[in-house]
Amino acid sequence: MIKLTNIEKRYGRKKILNGVTFEADKGQITCLIGINGAGKTTILQSIMGLTPYQKGEITIDGEKLSPKMLEKITYIPDTMTLLPKMRIKDAFQFMDDFYQNWNGERAKEILEFFKLKEDERISQLSKGNTAKVNLLMGLAMEADYILMDEPFSGIDIFSREQIADVFSSHLVEDRGVIITTHEISDIEHLIDKAVLLADGAVKKEFMTEQVREEEGKSVIDVMREVYQG
Amino acid sequence: MDIRFDKREAVYIQVIRYFKEQIAIGELKSGQEIPSRRELAQRLKINPNTVQRAYKEMEEEGLIYTDGNKPSMITKETGRIKEIRESLIDEAIDQFVDRITSLQIPKEQVFDLVQSKLNELGREDEEKHD
Repeated sequence: MIKLTNIEKRYGRKKILNGVTFEADKGQITCLIGINGAGKTTILQSIMGLTPYQKGEITIDGEKLSPKMLEKITYIPDTMTLLPKMRIKDAFQFMDDFYQNWNGERAKEILEFFKLKEDERISQLSKGNTAKVNLLMGLAMEADYILMDEPFSGIDIFSREQIADVFSSHLVEDRGVIITTHEISDIEHLIDKAVLLADGAVKKEFMTEQVREEEGKSVIDVMREVYQG
Repeated sequence: MDIRFDKREAVYIQVIRYFKEQIAIGELKSGQEIPSRRELAQRLKINPNTVQRAYKEMEEEGLIYTDGNKPSMITKETGRIKEIRESLIDEAIDQFVDRITSLQIPKEQVFDLVQSKLNELGREDEEKHD
């Protein structure tokens, strides 16, 4: 379990995170929802130790962040970080050379899942396919937890559908997933938990099946209550 | 296999209802293998944990059974299948009666309306077969 307790972060006088507390379980898909500026990316970067925070605690499976614990997590940023001149297969080789927990077999399998070819050059991929390759790079790492920043942002409907299919597949089996989005409709039925953020704080954390069953509300109904109250 | 999900109802309940309907109309037959948790989640584009919950509940209700590591199957107990069918009919009638009584239509008229509607459907069916 990834657990955040009361995380506070400031840039100068500006509070970016104002006491963020939530949990993300292994074997579940936890979705951080909020408009741009709500603190979603900062939260993921804090979990990865990529940005400092002033107060609070983050634990992974009960232990504090350390280089060893960070090997359990893979972070997929919302933009592609690989050299654009590479072919996909070169990128695979690069990953294989530099990362011990890179799973080449799995990478090929995901490539097939997305119906992409390894000879394609990254610079020549469409926006949707770039997003898929970006996701693939993270999914092919052996890790217990996967953090994905806005995997659906700015891509066409069919690519979004294909990416959404990942979440019901064995590709995330038994891993813990934290995904950020400002658009929930593609994945409403795929997530276990929703964490609603605004102004750097958690406004509500709930299990989606539970609010459907006990309150007869959709995820969007709850969002409407919280954000438009 | 296709379910139009209501976003305000628990997904696992909708999955169970779908299975019951398919069993009741004989689309899923007694002893027939059902998709694995993962396959169904992929097909319906829903969370595998939700499918797991639905399967667990169906197992407890005696709708499906699992032998060791083999794929789950639809129950072979014909009594159970008959019960499922009856409970679905019951539910449908309850819903119908509920709505029709709230409209305060005289009983006789309800019978007539149902009768003529069913006749109409019957004729349409015959035309299709022609």
